[in-house]
Amino acid sequence: MPEQETTQETTPNEQKVSTYDPAILPDMLPVYYRRLFPHEPFYRWLSYGNVDKQIFFNREISYTLHDDIYIRYQSYDTQAEFEKDICVRNPFKIDIGPVMSSRPRNMRAVPTSLVPIQRELVFDIDATDYDDIRNCCSGAGICIKCWKFMVLAVRVLDAALREDFGFEHIFWVFSGRRGVHGWVCDYTARTLDARARGAVAEYLNITSYSNNTAKVNIGDKPHHSVKRALKLVEPMFEEIILEDQNLFGTPKGVGKLLALISDESARHEMDAYLKKSHEDGAHSKLIWESFVRFANSMRTSAANVWSRKLKHIVEEVQLCLLYPRLDIHVTKGFNHLLKAPFCIHPATGKVCVPFSANAVAKFDPTTVPNITQLLQEINAYDDKTKSYIEKPEDKSRIKDHKKTSMFKGVVVFEEFLRKLERTFKTESMEF
Amino acid sequence: MDFKLKKRARQDVKVEVISLEEKYPQNVMLYHYPPTEDIHIDEFEELALERLKLLRIFEMANSKSLRVLSDDWKEYVNAELTREGLRGYLRMCTHSSSNNTKLETDLQMRRRDYLSHFILRLAYCRSDELMRWLLTREMELFKYKFSALSVAEIKQFLEKNSFHIHPLTEAQKDEVKDGLYESTAGHSVAKIELLEFYKVPFTEVLDLVRGRRCYLKGGFAYVSTHDLVSIVGTRHADEIERGLQATKTFISEVEADERISRMLKSLHSSYTGKDYTVSRDASVPIESLDQLSKTSMPLCMRMCHEHIRHEHHIKHGGRMQYGLFLKGIGVTLEDSLRFWRAEFTKKIDVDKYTRAYEYNIMHNYGKKGSMVNYSPYSCMKIIKDMAGPGDCHGCPYRSFDAPTLKTKLAGYGLSQGAIDEVLFFVTRGHFQLACSKYFTITHNTTAEPTITHPNGYFEESQIVMGSRQKHTPGPAKQQNKNNRSAIVGGANRSMINGNDDDELWRIAETQERVYQSQKGIEDAFDDDLDLTEIAD
Repeated sequence: MPEQETTQETTPNEQKVSTYDPAILPDMLPVYYRRLFPHEPFYRWLSYGNVDKQIFFNREISYTLHDDIYIRYQSYDTQAEFEKDICVRNPFKIDIGPVMSSRPRNMRAVPTSLVPIQRELVFDIDATDYDDIRNCCSGAGICIKCWKFMVLAVRVLDAALREDFGFEHIFWVFSGRRGVHGWVCDYTARTLDARARGAVAEYLNITSYSNNTAKVNIGDKPHHSVKRALKLVEPMFEEIILEDQNLFGTPKGVGKLLALISDESARHEMDAYLKKSHEDGAHSKLIWESFVRFANSMRTSAANVWSRKLKHIVEEVQLCLLYPRLDIHVTKGFNHLLKAPFCIHPATGKVCVPFSANAVAKFDPTTVPNITQLLQEINAYDDKTKSYIEKPEDKSRIKDHKKTSMFKGVVVFEEFLRKLERTFKTESMEF
Repeated sequence: MDFKLKKRARQDVKVEVISLEEKYPQNVMLYHYPPTEDIHIDEFEELALERLKLLRIFEMANSKSLRVLSDDWKEYVNAELTREGLRGYLRMCTHSSSNNTKLETDLQMRRRDYLSHFILRLAYCRSDELMRWLLTREMELFKYKFSALSVAEIKQFLEKNSFHIHPLTEAQKDEVKDGLYESTAGHSVAKIELLEFYKVPFTEVLDLVRGRRCYLKGGFAYVSTHDLVSIVGTRHADEIERGLQATKTFISEVEADERISRMLKSLHSSYTGKDYTVSRDASVPIESLDQLSKTSMPLCMRMCHEHIRHEHHIKHGGRMQYGLFLKGIGVTLEDSLRFWRAEFTKKIDVDKYTRAYEYNIMHNYGKKGSMVNYSPYSCMKIIKDMAGPGDCHGCPYRSFDAPTLKTKLAGYGLSQGAIDEVLFFVTRGHFQLACSKYFTITHNTTAEPTITHPNGYFEESQIVMGSRQKHTPGPAKQQNKNNRSAIVGGANRSMINGNDDDELWRIAETQERVYQSQKGIEDAFDDDLDLTEIAD
């Protein structure tokens, strides 16, 4: 698509983020939905090539409007109808539910027959689940340092979904504030039943929680999926945990490290060793080096608890801190609603933009455009070209989102769609 | 299913022997076709009770947290089978039958196995919860039986049941061998080299996927002959589930025969545990919760109570677990609403509370949404529930690590010796026993109650402390008990009190209510209503 590439170059590469004021969001949303929201690709996604028309007809869409008014069980027959309704309601949030066995909007007429029959396999990772090991931010905050947790989460999951389960049509979305959503859209993924979803979720979830501390137990020999995760986690461990977060830099931090040793006497041994070797407040790197050295020497010196139960302790600590912390209920649920891509997060004003798993490290959540900035960008563009004022009805010439910095997100999404739609073409040729 | 229960002479069964071998070729069968033969009503009942006894043993093993097919599990199950006189089933589960297929006793046993399964389908198709229970137990039995098959028998089984799966060729296996070595659980590399492997879509071996116990590549799972049970098991489970659904549609026809419906129902009431959906005792004033949490609540609920008092917030899982428990001990809906509101609004404003949380509480009491009056969670459910970060629900004996648990218990004033006693059970994975130990220590009694339900714990505690009368025993209850022990033949009582039978009890109780309303208002107030009378 040569036309697209040229526009990409002319797009002003603005990095500065305009201030966003939640109070005027209701005024901005109509413009956003009318001019910027990528209705066409969005419909193309949810209609899955229109091979089976029911897939779009029976899809549950929900909205959160101003003042937390919640509307469920909406469904549409055509793209035009869908687009029109969004532009009328101007929702604060759009949620996507499952494809039901009949039209959700007829729910009250035929309530018993409304059961989910298809749904993307979805993943939800939230930076707040890393709060116990984030020293840079907490709660709703996110910075480029904590985004690295998300980077690893996306890489580990994406690799497992593609290599182990053979899924191909996956896209990842920045959730607008501090987390990431993953959508797996392959036919087999969409048609998994509840039990299968549960199995996939547990396969991918190696972290268990007891008493608010994460625990990972590799067992006797690491499964290949765990090994692959380790290969991704290990190279970033020093950067994230030891340098960025300096997690073991305080006595409290060292306590967290020690808490990961499940055997009591072994924990005391390690504690004594670390106390002997370092002053309080020694840098994480030194603490970790000693930790690894001690664990290794104990493990190889004789047959003891270190060589049996704790033989993978170094790896377990790394995984425990950096392996994706999934909210598995979202993945397990057949009819769990999940926020749609390209929504505006009401608290931050940021667009929920899709990004490519390969480029996740380059993605910067702090520079994701917010709605104020986007509207300024189209205005600036309009002023420059006067096109919108001269011919406001001619929308097809250049799509508005291509004039703004959310362009890249749309391109990622369209790339995903092109690959997805190729499968429908080959399918229809086969039949 | 054709159930003609005309009186027939028993010798008829013998005539059938000719075809038995063909009919029941193997110990393991998929229960595909419902039986069509005629049986005597006595045998019908006998078969049902026998199988129920068997499944109860699996349930007990499960509640002791023994892993299915582990050595401990087998040891326990085998001992119980012997004790209960279920040698036939024991033989079926432990003996490979290749050399003695023609043994008359074995064939008869297969027949019993086959028929009794279909009888239980009739009794357990009534509700989703019952179905799940039966399915879980049947799968355990199936796995045990399957584990006794020899390689040749497995081959024969697969052929007979038209499973079209073929082992990988050497070349194919070679391609993925690294993955197999790394990810096939439970076997050494040398063993893996010898084993035959099969490639199947991962959806056919979900239990292996769930536990990361097999190699997975491109959506296919590679499983060895030992794990074929997973594939077959998935199919088997589907089959039973479909069968139960089908049974549900014609159960009313079967029950038109009064002898059967009576029998099926007495099967319920004779094996029932207790349900705590609606507290039958005096209501508990909400103000006493702080005190009660210290004296009469099991640790899991005490954790929740302290959490909410301390944090003024509790996550969904905790709200369900604790909210339903409160309902069960007799906290009224109004009190509940007051309690949650008072706590939550210390942190968030009333508006947000009403919008986000009130629904949840009304829902628990069956006043909103699907309008189901939910049962409080049993220990089994609580133990299985995985708590996430920031959660306070789940079984603390399971989810806490030893040091935290020690600190907690010490904080509650338990002596070092007492703590060690509790932890003795915890480290062995007997969480319910740990809980009952905690009970005897905190209540200073010698009687050790069997804890299968937090509400049961609460009730026992109230009885020990004398605040409540033992729940209206009266002659009715007494009779009911006799009835039970008559049927189970003096089996371990704790076995009968299986918590999964909550649902059964609820059904019995619904019937009770219907019956009461028919009997007229004056009788409806009679607490000592004879349950057996209704069941009959």
